[in-house]
Amino acid sequence: MFVQDLRNDFYRQLVGKRILIVVNYDIDAICASRILQALFKYDHMLYTVVPIMGVTGLKRAYGEHQGDVKYVVLVNCGGCVDIVELLQPAEDVTFFICDSHRPLDVCNIYSDRQVCILGDASLEENIPAFETIFYDSDGEDDEEDESSDPEQQHNDSGAGESDQEDEAPRSRKLSRLERHEQRVLKQRARRQWESERDRIMFEYTQFSYYGRSAALMVFELAWKLSKDNMDLLWWAIVGITEQLLLGKIESGSYTLELEQIQSHVSRLTNKTNDQNTMSASKITFENDLHLVLYRHWPVTESMRYSRYSSCQLKLWTLRGEKRLHELLLEMGLPLVHARQTYGAMDLVLRKEFFSMVERLAEKYDIADIVYGTFTLSYGYRSRYAAADYVYALLAIMESVKKHKTPEDCFLEASDALSRQHKQLLSAGIDQAKLLHAAVFRQVQSSLEARQVHSAGSFFYYVLQEEHAFFSYPYALGLLARFLLRGHVATSRARQAPDLPLIASCPLDAAEGMCLLVGVVPVREDSPRNFFGKAFEQAAQKSGVALLQDFFEPAVVQLRQSDLTRFLDALTVLLT
Amino acid sequence: MSGQTKMFGEKAFDLLKELERSSQTIPAFDDDGVRQVLEEIKAIFEENVAQASTYNASGDRSLWPLLNFRHAALQRNKRCLLAYLYERCKRIKALRWEFGPIIPGDIKQALCEPEVTFFNNYSKSLAAYMCSAGYNQGLPIDLTNNLRPPKSLYIEVRCMEDYGKFELDDGEVIHLKKNSQHYLPRAQVESLVRQGILHHIA
Repeated sequence: MFVQDLRNDFYRQLVGKRILIVVNYDIDAICASRILQALFKYDHMLYTVVPIMGVTGLKRAYGEHQGDVKYVVLVNCGGCVDIVELLQPAEDVTFFICDSHRPLDVCNIYSDRQVCILGDASLEENIPAFETIFYDSDGEDDEEDESSDPEQQHNDSGAGESDQEDEAPRSRKLSRLERHEQRVLKQRARRQWESERDRIMFEYTQFSYYGRSAALMVFELAWKLSKDNMDLLWWAIVGITEQLLLGKIESGSYTLELEQIQSHVSRLTNKTNDQNTMSASKITFENDLHLVLYRHWPVTESMRYSRYSSCQLKLWTLRGEKRLHELLLEMGLPLVHARQTYGAMDLVLRKEFFSMVERLAEKYDIADIVYGTFTLSYGYRSRYAAADYVYALLAIMESVKKHKTPEDCFLEASDALSRQHKQLLSAGIDQAKLLHAAVFRQVQSSLEARQVHSAGSFFYYVLQEEHAFFSYPYALGLLARFLLRGHVATSRARQAPDLPLIASCPLDAAEGMCLLVGVVPVREDSPRNFFGKAFEQAAQKSGVALLQDFFEPAVVQLRQSDLTRFLDALTVLLT
Repeated sequence: MSGQTKMFGEKAFDLLKELERSSQTIPAFDDDGVRQVLEEIKAIFEENVAQASTYNASGDRSLWPLLNFRHAALQRNKRCLLAYLYERCKRIKALRWEFGPIIPGDIKQALCEPEVTFFNNYSKSLAAYMCSAGYNQGLPIDLTNNLRPPKSLYIEVRCMEDYGKFELDDGEVIHLKKNSQHYLPRAQVESLVRQGILHHIA
C-alpha cells in the first residue's frame, strides 16, 4: 500500500506512539533517519534507532524489539523483500517503509494495511497489475468442488439406474466430456497465465535501480509540517548527493531535484534572521567540480584521485601526468600552489580556480567535470561541499577496525553529520583521502598488470588478498567503478563502454567468503543494474550458495572456492 | 637578612593567590602557610605589645605611627586567613551538592580534620532540611538533583552495553541493546546514564 499524504497518513498516525526506526547502512538512510529523529523530538515521541546491515540484521533487530513496539519505520531497507513473510509480525504491528531501493516487492505494494510504503504510486514504473500476478485461489477451489461433486453424483446414480433413463446419461456423458474439456482448457489457461505471470515478474524484477532519495522525501514531510530548518535541509542535500556520487540517480532527475531544493534553500535563507557570520549557517547553490575533496587537498592530488578527471586524462600513466602539468600550465596555476593544500593556496588563485578549470574543461575533454551542487558555510573557516560530507561519511562508515564494530562506525557517521562534531568530520575527510589514494593506486597497478579480464559480455576483476579498504561494499564499489572507467579509457575494444564489470574481494580469510560487486557499464547513465537478478539465476544454475543479504542486490557474498564456477555460470547466462 | 626584607602580609596574600590559581576543585590544605602567617601575626603582636608598653611608660609620640601600622598589618593578615578558610568552606559546600554525602577519596586527602567535620555537619543539616522539605511526609526531596533546570523532559541516549529490557513508568518496555539509540524521558533514565550504561548525546 502506498502512502502519499505523508503528513496525515504517516506522521499523524505515529504521533504519541513509540516507534522503532530501523536504518540501513547508507548515507541517504542516515540522513533520512536524522531528519526523522529531529521531527520525533519536536513532538516528544519515544523512539529507538537501530542500525542494521542486510536482511538478517533486519530480522534480528525486529526479533529483539518484537512485542514492545507497534510501529516500525524502515529507512532504506525492506522495500524489496516481503516484510510480512520475512518477519512474521503480529496483526497489530504496522510497518512504514521509506526505501529508495527499487523494484519494490509486490507483496508490500498490495498489502492492504500492515505495510505502508511512503511515496507516490504514480511515480513508480510498471508495477504489475494485481490480477496479473495474484490468482484468486478461493474462487478456484470453489469451482473445483463444483466440478467434482456432480461427477460423484453421476457415478452413484449411474450404478443404480443405468438402463432406465437412456438419454439423460448421454447428455451427461456429453457434458462430462465437455466438462473435461473445460477443465483442460482451464488448466491450459492457468498455465498460460502462470507463464505470463513469470514473464511479468521477471521483467519487473530484472533490473534493480533506485527511486527518490529517502532523505529528500522525509525532508519534504518536515517542510509540510513546517518544521524544516537549515540543518534538516542540509541533511537532505547530503542524502541526494550520495545518490549522485554513487551513481544511484540519473543526472536528469538530479537536475530536476536541484531546482526544488534551490527553492527550499532560498526560502529558508530568507526566513532565518541570524545575520551573524560566526553562528549563521548558509547553504549556497553553485556550480562545482567533480574533484574529490579538492577544498581539503592539493589540487594535483585531487585531480589524480578523482574518477572522472583521472580517467579522462589517464593520470596513472606518464603521459597523463604530463597532460596534467600541461593543464595546470595553461590554467596559470603554479606548481608550488597546486601541490599544497587548497586552503593554503593564494587567495586570488583560489577565487579563480573554478573558472580556470571550467574554461579549459572543453579542451581537455573533461566537460562533465562541472556539476551543480550546494555548499554549506558557517563561521569563517568551515566551508563544505555536499560531496565532501558524502565522502567523509562513506569513509567513516567503512573504517571498521578490530575494536570498532560496524555499528560504532555507523553511529560515528551519524554524529559527524551534526555541526557540533566538526572534528569527526575532519577525521572522516582525512580517512576519505586515504581511501581514494588507495583506490587510485589499486587501479593503477591493476591496469598496468592487466588484471581486468573480459568474459565476453562483462569484465571481471578479482582481488586475491584481503584488503584493509576494499573488503567493504562501498569501497569495493568505488574501486570497481574507477577501474571500469579506467579500463574503458585504455581499452581499444569498441564495445568496452557497453560492458559492465564485476569486482570481487575476499572478505574473511578464515571463513573463505568473498564479496562480489557488479557495476553498470560506463555508457549507461541510468542506475539500472541487472546483476542482482543475474547473480541469483547464475547461482541457481551453478548450484553455488549465494548470500544475497545486502539490500543492494548487486552486492553479494559467496565462497571463495565457488567463485570460478559462479563466474562461468554467469558467462553462460549472459551470452 | 632576607626575611627582614619581606613585607608584612605577603605570605597571607600568597596563600590566597595559591588557592585562587589552583585548577583542582580543592587544593590541599596549606598547613605550613597557615602556620607561618599565624607566626607572623604572633611576632607582630608581641613586638607591638612590647613597644606599646614602652609607649605607655615613656609617652614617646614618635612610636605612635609605627604601632598603628603594625596593627593594620596584623588585621590584614587576619582577614586574609579568614578569607582563605571561608573560600575553602564554600568549596566544600559545593562539593556536597556535586558529589553527594560521601567525599571522594582524593579530595578527602586535601581536607584537614576540622574541614571534614564541617563537611559532615553540613551534610547532616542539608539532609535534615531535605527531609523536612518533602511535601508528603517520609519522602524526602533530593534537592541535589537538577541543579540547573533541564532543557527538555526527554534526552537522546546511546546504549553502551547490552542491558536488556527496561520498563518505563507508563509500561512501555524498551530493549536496551548495545549501539542502539533511544529518545527517553530524562527522569527515568538518569540513573542508567550515571551508571554508564547509557550515554547522553548532546
